[in-house]
Amino acid sequence: MAEPSKAAAVSPRLEGKIDNRRRILGFMWKYRALYFISLPGLLFFGLFKYVPLMGSVIAFQNYNLFAGVTGSPWVGLEHFQRMFQHYDFLKILRNTLLLGTYDILFAFTAPIVLALLLNEVRQVVYKKIVQTIFYAPHFLSWVIVSGIFVGILSPSSGIVNVMLGWFGIDPIYFLGEDSYIRTVLVGSGLWRDVGWGTIIYLAALAGINPDLYEASEIDGAGRWRQTLSITLPALLPVITILFLLKIGDFMDYGFERVFVFQNPLNIQSSEILDTYIYKAGLQQLQYSYATAIGVFKSVVGLFLISIANTISKKATGESLY
Amino acid sequence: MRKSWTRMLTSGLVLALLVGCSGNNGGGGGANAGGGDSNGQGGSEAGPTKFSISMRTLNVSYVEKNPDINKDKYVLELEKRTNTDLDIRLIPHNEYQDKMVQMFATNDIPDVVQGTGGISGPELAGAVENGVFLPLNDLLQEHGQDLLKFIPEEAWKRMTDSKTGNIYGIPEILSNPSRRATWIRTDLLEKVGKEIPTTVEETMDVLRAFKEAGVEQPYAGRQNFKYADTFFGAYDVLGYLNQFKVFPDGKVKPTFFDEENMKQAIQIYKTMHEEGLISKEFATIESADFKSIVTSGKAGMWSMNANELPIWGTQLKENVPDATVALIPSPVGPDGKGGYAHYNPVTRSFFINAKAKDKAEDIVKFFNWMVSEDAELFFSFGIEGEDYQVTDGKPVFEVPTDAAGADKMRYLNYWLWLVQDTTYNKRVSELSDSGKELIDAFDNMLSNEGRRGIEFDPRLEAMVKYPELNPKSDELPPLILEHVLRMVYGREPIDNYGKVLEEYLSKGGNEIIEEATKRYNEKENAFE
Repeated sequence: MAEPSKAAAVSPRLEGKIDNRRRILGFMWKYRALYFISLPGLLFFGLFKYVPLMGSVIAFQNYNLFAGVTGSPWVGLEHFQRMFQHYDFLKILRNTLLLGTYDILFAFTAPIVLALLLNEVRQVVYKKIVQTIFYAPHFLSWVIVSGIFVGILSPSSGIVNVMLGWFGIDPIYFLGEDSYIRTVLVGSGLWRDVGWGTIIYLAALAGINPDLYEASEIDGAGRWRQTLSITLPALLPVITILFLLKIGDFMDYGFERVFVFQNPLNIQSSEILDTYIYKAGLQQLQYSYATAIGVFKSVVGLFLISIANTISKKATGESLY
Repeated sequence: MRKSWTRMLTSGLVLALLVGCSGNNGGGGGANAGGGDSNGQGGSEAGPTKFSISMRTLNVSYVEKNPDINKDKYVLELEKRTNTDLDIRLIPHNEYQDKMVQMFATNDIPDVVQGTGGISGPELAGAVENGVFLPLNDLLQEHGQDLLKFIPEEAWKRMTDSKTGNIYGIPEILSNPSRRATWIRTDLLEKVGKEIPTTVEETMDVLRAFKEAGVEQPYAGRQNFKYADTFFGAYDVLGYLNQFKVFPDGKVKPTFFDEENMKQAIQIYKTMHEEGLISKEFATIESADFKSIVTSGKAGMWSMNANELPIWGTQLKENVPDATVALIPSPVGPDGKGGYAHYNPVTRSFFINAKAKDKAEDIVKFFNWMVSEDAELFFSFGIEGEDYQVTDGKPVFEVPTDAAGADKMRYLNYWLWLVQDTTYNKRVSELSDSGKELIDAFDNMLSNEGRRGIEFDPRLEAMVKYPELNPKSDELPPLILEHVLRMVYGREPIDNYGKVLEEYLSKGGNEIIEEATKRYNEKENAFE
């Protein structure tokens, strides 16, 4: 008795599916020009994003450069096991998460504040000059940034310690202490990229309808009220999207920017997954191990981004997908 | 019509996949695939042998600034003399390992590959074990007799797989592995009225006197004790890759397991840090800063490669006209010895691609020429009639003093001369005073000092597994280094050092010592 009823239930659904497919293909045909234009983009993502993704399988192998993906032996989750069992894994993970958190707290919010401040500047020339000065460091490589910071933070000749000296504070070896290194890392990132981060916000600010401000002025709103009630709400969609993107990079603090500041005196606080991958994986030619850590990082990132996206969709209606 | 669209999309995707995968397959096909671009011009007797060779630029500015090294007149001259046609592929000095691995991964391997050191360096990415290169034993017997005579047994051993007895590469050698020296400003020494110090205590005395006389950095320190390990050397606790030794308990351990001596060495650095005899921020001083500190006259004593004497000495004199500098015997520790970690007896090595088999004979002949008298003259002085003259049958050469001339000499003497004894260039050094000083230092002083222990090449597997315990050729393992620096900076008591060793053992050190002892006893690629 059950069998025929089941078949009866399935077949209309199947029909519906076929119907659906026909409709979609028809739709595609209608907009074939658009689909055609998108081909290069799709190819690009396929070639440079998805095909390399397949390389992640070496995380489950003992990859041998000369045997290649097809010839290397499979070892399952051995490399992941090794990673979790590493005696310093928790410390490294903690450093990574802490730096990620500080980065969101400071490096993410600073461009918003700066953009709002710049937005209030009336003198166009002055605004442009300030903007340019803030952008400029973005084009310096991390090696140079670290050189500058090593210089200004030097206990013997650095300007920071000279200024501390005016207040009778003994010179501090900022780069040689665990307790300061995170501040230095986040601070240097802030200095380098804060101006660059304002670009999108300034563009969004330029798009706000001036009528809104005019109307609010008639209603008697001051500048502060305007910022809270018009500017910020207008920026919120952009902020949300950028925040979601940032969450996806939560674990990717970046290798180079940390590596250039590292030394044995601050390593306890500055070793993060990215630098560990470099040292344990790439320098020792343990590609599979390095990839396993990388995969772990990506999975956590994906997890975080989907959670944040769901929350954001429910709370604000803004979302990435 | 709809079909054709689907086809297009599918074929597009297939293409994408193919392109993506062929890269991987290329790496997999490896050694067995055909000869590529090299096969076309196989060895007809008359024409020059054409082969490609990858070479690290080694920070030689003549090479790095050259628009096309293959058209350089000295390369052309070299080709003329050896009847070859080289295609030199430069590998940037600072990205050497990455680029080499890339080269192997993409299977774009030249006919000759230049490595550094033995057959299992990380830059080779295991190429030797995977059969990428040709065993050279027979070829050397037939066409490389001069090489066999010139290169000592010790260096050949480094190029030999001890299991099969196959020689895989032609080494360039360093006959005097004690390459680093202790330098001192003799003008300052005279100023404070002190003799050249010989022991650690006397050295500290001199450094204190320097400090009193207003020398900014009596001893020039540097990040991770690199080129600042004089006192670790004196106490014989360097603990680098080639610094294993047999301990009284019969086990082979890194030398920093000598707890008493290590504590004393750390104490010396701690005292220097406290008294300001070494920069308070030496933990962040990098090589460029180090050089500028020394050459601007801020340092009183330091450690550097001895063969830099003519260059650093000149630069120092340009900045501080009164400065005089000398290489002195390194301070000795409790065992009456001192000095720095010895270098690998092989500086560069050249491997021949298995795919270039048909040309291998001529390539070996090319390298064999490198140790001839003709080569020595060419690489020391340059081209006759242009760089030097011959009068009365003897070459007359003037050592260039300007920067451009020095660059050119470095290029010829050191970079382009592929197989030689790199300790110093005899013919050139004999012509100047600082050169003669150098020869004297190498032959009579440095040859008697320095620390060398047991080295494993390929390195111990346990070391690869535990990167924190893996030392560099001139740096302590990260785990030990971290604690030592903390002790020097007064953040951890020196008495804790015993616990540090326990930590080392518990974090994988036991495995390292076990493997080291086993390999040493079985004489498996262990070098003393």
